Amino acid sequence: MPAPDVDATRERILAAAYAQADAHGLGQATVEGVAQDAGLSRATIYRHFPGGKEELVEAVISWEVARFFDRLGEEIDDAPDFASWLTRGLLAARRQLEDHTLLQRLLEDEADQLVPRLVTVMPIVRAVLRDQLAGRLAGERLRPGVDRGEAADLLARLVVSFIGTPGVWRLDEPAEAERLVRTQLLPGVVEVGTRSG
Amino acid sequence: MGASTGLAERYLGADDVERRLVDAALRCVERWGLAKTSIDDIARQAGVSRATVYRLFPGGKDRLVATVLQYELGRLFHEADSEARQATDLEDLVCVGVGIAMRTLTGNAALAYLVIHEPEAILPHFAFHRLAPLLATVAELSRPHLGRFLPDDAVRPAAELLARVVLTYSFDPAPELDPTDDDSIRRFVRTYLLPALTTTQERT
Repeated sequence: MPAPDVDATRERILAAAYAQADAHGLGQATVEGVAQDAGLSRATIYRHFPGGKEELVEAVISWEVARFFDRLGEEIDDAPDFASWLTRGLLAARRQLEDHTLLQRLLEDEADQLVPRLVTVMPIVRAVLRDQLAGRLAGERLRPGVDRGEAADLLARLVVSFIGTPGVWRLDEPAEAERLVRTQLLPGVVEVGTRSG
Repeated sequence: MGASTGLAERYLGADDVERRLVDAALRCVERWGLAKTSIDDIARQAGVSRATVYRLFPGGKDRLVATVLQYELGRLFHEADSEARQATDLEDLVCVGVGIAMRTLTGNAALAYLVIHEPEAILPHFAFHRLAPLLATVAELSRPHLGRFLPDDAVRPAAELLARVVLTYSFDPAPELDPTDDDSIRRFVRTYLLPALTTTQERT
């Protein structure tokens, strides 16, 4: 079990790496710059991230993705039922994505650097989402033939897809988000009539 | 949307040279990947001049991936067309479409090469805002087929949902949707997809 001060140092390095990426982009950021920003030696950086810049880039992306979903979870946690939890989740996620200036800038200028690493991180995101969805589905009546694990996995995949690319849906509008949830996300999974909300 | 659909529909009206160019690009990428494929390589493989390649793909290599993706979408729909027209109901149609689309995606050698060896060249085209024009093209190409069984304003959301399902289960396979198993496809479509295509809600 890592000592608390090791975790704190790791956090400090990741925060510095984030700031460097924000200031210089993923390509131009350096370990030296991160060390300076964090007020640590290069040796300390390499001790925590022996893979150097490549490992740091992957770690800071994972870190920020985790923080993104933490912020999201906090915002929607008090939703009264499954349908509104999903609806609020889509709305909040889209808003937070659009408002995420570093993400938007990287997508514009360094998509080739960012997207493959996001793809590496996505299975973990999906697994966490899937577990949360499976937990919430346990309180719902499922349609005949629906397997809770399969349904949770499908919903996790679709949620990630819609958040990343809304397509035809205007997910800045609550009524649209609700319509998506009620016409495309829930109908294949939960029983009509006993659907909460 | 018009421009991207135009590219996909160009497959239908495409002359031999254009088709040969896209095939040549795919053959080169299968073998060497995108980074090591030059415009000259494509020209040589297709048996045309550099000038011809640049005339038909004015963005050069930069636009090549986006252009070929749209073009291949057109090819996919063209090849699925007659089987799709034989579908007698929505369930049949969706089973046909999902099956052919997934088998095409998972069987494409150039795509497989890029995903494994040059993810930075291909994955950005399937993420965030760059995915949107592909979804829109799928919707328009699906219209003659889905339009047989769904009201007009339901076609685009339905097509986009199916495209998302095809993409995610092709890139990250799961046993419950096995494109080589018709029973698996039918069960998945019937259980999870049909209700999501046919449920309507009045717009407020």
